[in-house]
Amino acid sequence: MAGGKELTVITYRGIFQEVEEARGMYSDGYRDQSAVVALDGGDMKEMGIEAGRPVHLETASGDVVVAAKLSEEAHPGVAFMPASPWSAQLLSGEVGEDGFLELKMFTVRASSGEGRVTSIEEIEAVIRAP
Amino acid sequence: MAFCTGCSLLCDDIVVDLDGGKIGKTMNLCRKGHAHYSSIGSGRLTPCVDGSEVGVEDAMMAAAEVLAGADNPLLFGWGASTLEAQRAGVDLAKKLGGAIDDPSSYSQGLITEKIIAGDLPTCTLDDVRNFADVSIYWGDDPSSSHPRHMSRFSYFPRGEKRQRGYEEDREAIVIDVRKSPTAQIAADGFFKITPGGDGAFIEALVASLAGKIPKVEDKKRMLNLGTKLRKAKFGAIFTGQGLAHSLRGDLSGFVSLVGKLNEITRFSVIPTLGDYNTRGFNQTLFDETGHVNSVSFKDGVRHGREFSIARLLDSCDAVMVMGSDPAAALPAAIAKKLERAAMVAVGSHRNMTTDFAKVSVPMAVAGIEAGGSCLRTDGVRVEFDGLVRSDHLSDVDIIKRIMEAV
Amino acid sequence: MISVMEVYQLLPKTNCKRCGLPTCMAFAVALISREKTIEDCTPLLEEAKYEKKLAGLRELLAPILSADATETGMVIHPEKCYGCGNCVVACPVNVASDPKGTAIGRGPVSGKAILMVEDGVVKCVNVDECRRFGPEKVLCNACIATCPSKAIEFI
Ligand code: SF4
Ligand code: SF4
Ligand code: SF4
Ligand code: SF4
Repeated sequence: MAGGKELTVITYRGIFQEVEEARGMYSDGYRDQSAVVALDGGDMKEMGIEAGRPVHLETASGDVVVAAKLSEEAHPGVAFMPASPWSAQLLSGEVGEDGFLELKMFTVRASSGEGRVTSIEEIEAVIRAP
Repeated sequence: MAFCTGCSLLCDDIVVDLDGGKIGKTMNLCRKGHAHYSSIGSGRLTPCVDGSEVGVEDAMMAAAEVLAGADNPLLFGWGASTLEAQRAGVDLAKKLGGAIDDPSSYSQGLITEKIIAGDLPTCTLDDVRNFADVSIYWGDDPSSSHPRHMSRFSYFPRGEKRQRGYEEDREAIVIDVRKSPTAQIAADGFFKITPGGDGAFIEALVASLAGKIPKVEDKKRMLNLGTKLRKAKFGAIFTGQGLAHSLRGDLSGFVSLVGKLNEITRFSVIPTLGDYNTRGFNQTLFDETGHVNSVSFKDGVRHGREFSIARLLDSCDAVMVMGSDPAAALPAAIAKKLERAAMVAVGSHRNMTTDFAKVSVPMAVAGIEAGGSCLRTDGVRVEFDGLVRSDHLSDVDIIKRIMEAV
Repeated sequence: MISVMEVYQLLPKTNCKRCGLPTCMAFAVALISREKTIEDCTPLLEEAKYEKKLAGLRELLAPILSADATETGMVIHPEKCYGCGNCVVACPVNVASDPKGTAIGRGPVSGKAILMVEDGVVKCVNVDECRRFGPEKVLCNACIATCPSKAIEFI
């Protein structure tokens, strides 16, 4: 995991994501609402990422490309991401000593991404791969 | 009046124009509820076995076969099921000698368990509307997840002892790591904490309630909050995923804070639960076993985190997922285990879990296509009829049919 | 918000009184409050030299004149609305006229509510009942302050 910037990601749920989910998870609308990461303005500048551009997020568990979104609030070092199959690819499957899974907060390496946002079909293919 | 099963508020004042048996114009459904109603027309699950479409009856028989052949089956999901289906599900788990669990095992299960067991004081949302003068939303953003929470119950409506409207009669406090839409409304009542900082916030609040100087940056604001809570006549704390995840398994600080508040005045806790009948499942299992989730019926009744989906997938040999999508919500490593498991998925719509299932069985959307009963997030029982005719079987009929066949 | 000065700059500034008001400045105020329409300023419409100003004025006032803008200047952005009903329940007119419905957090029952949620988004009816309307208007902002998503604004 060389390069990029280390960020603490926190997941949340937004109403428009839930609306798109009810309409169907295999739609562009659901991807547009889910495959995003809200970044601090200063962090975006530092990484050379513009709003709407792809961001590559990587952890020891997996990686995805999502679209960057500029946060209205300042929160350097922290990024917010809708809880979705995209954020799930970055979560560790190991339970902690207390038996709990961490689903809400994790550390990623973020960098300006190449190409386009990962599709849900690609995520399913990664899960299916041996 | 119709009901909405779009979230655990189960709004019961919905007006629907039924246009020749089809859903037309709706009144009072929030945007999420409206999307839920509209969803009956798209993305529906089809009955499949090993990737080929079959009849529903065949799919149910294949499901029974998968479960009957297993030594350690796990029955998971249940939040988006009626009380009747949940009851049948517990019976099925018993009959199979399997385990049963729901998403509360990685969400608010511990908080709900303490409420059901009486270790945390609670009240109904109607009490909140009638009496509450302080509403605390903790790691909870109902504006996004339960859009009518604040307007129906917790902040804006008039109630018996709350006749003057929110500006004069109520106070909204939001404790969160980000300025959520709910925090936006609370304006000056928003307390921003650092990620994972809930425990420290609890300590500071306990100190300020006791009149001690809290160890936080803005001491004055925390002391003011302490004073405000001391003066409350009827307080309510709404808990969300954010709080549950931050405190993980250790609720002792939170329970003692609520205890301290209740030595001074009255404060109740109501969790804001995700699926429309999460509370119903937790209650149903608790009534049967004394636990709200993660129970195995293999040798009597056993409970523990080792029977939660996160841990059990390593040892179980078949999984039935009921109205849920753990493959989308859980870490990829766990989704991989689900994908490899002998899995049956029962659900109304296609999702990642149904995509990975060996057998999929479509069901009706309760509240719209089928009737039933369930518990609102505060434990109040709600009963409804189906609104439109549907070819889909109800959740309880599916579970009963599978149970007959195993 | 559209400022009076912006509107004034696009008027003939001759104070000819043909609109029935003493000054172009007064007319600018009346345009924003929707008591007058652009058509009331005949010189602007008739004289070719004001063509550019007229076009600019129409563009500037377009949001006020759009079909979405009700007579109070209320603009609803349905794409932003959560349908949460906060505005519906907080609106003082609803509270007064619909005590068994919106006032207590439910859908309207009296037929007199002015804000309600239809098909998942807010809708304004009987707008002449809004407190911002009419000669005794007050600057009510209950439906704006309670909104989680800035889906209502007044222009
Ligand atoms: S708040 Fe929940 S139950 Fe009520 S209409 Fe919205 S989605 Fe349905
Ligand atoms: S008619 Fe037009 S130009 Fe004459 S005073 Fe009124 S606004 Fe000014
Ligand atoms: S301005 Fe006031 S009276 Fe008018 S719709 Fe909004 S809340 Fe109601
Ligand atoms: S306009 Fe705002 S307050 Fe009113 S229903 Fe829509 S989102 Fe809620």
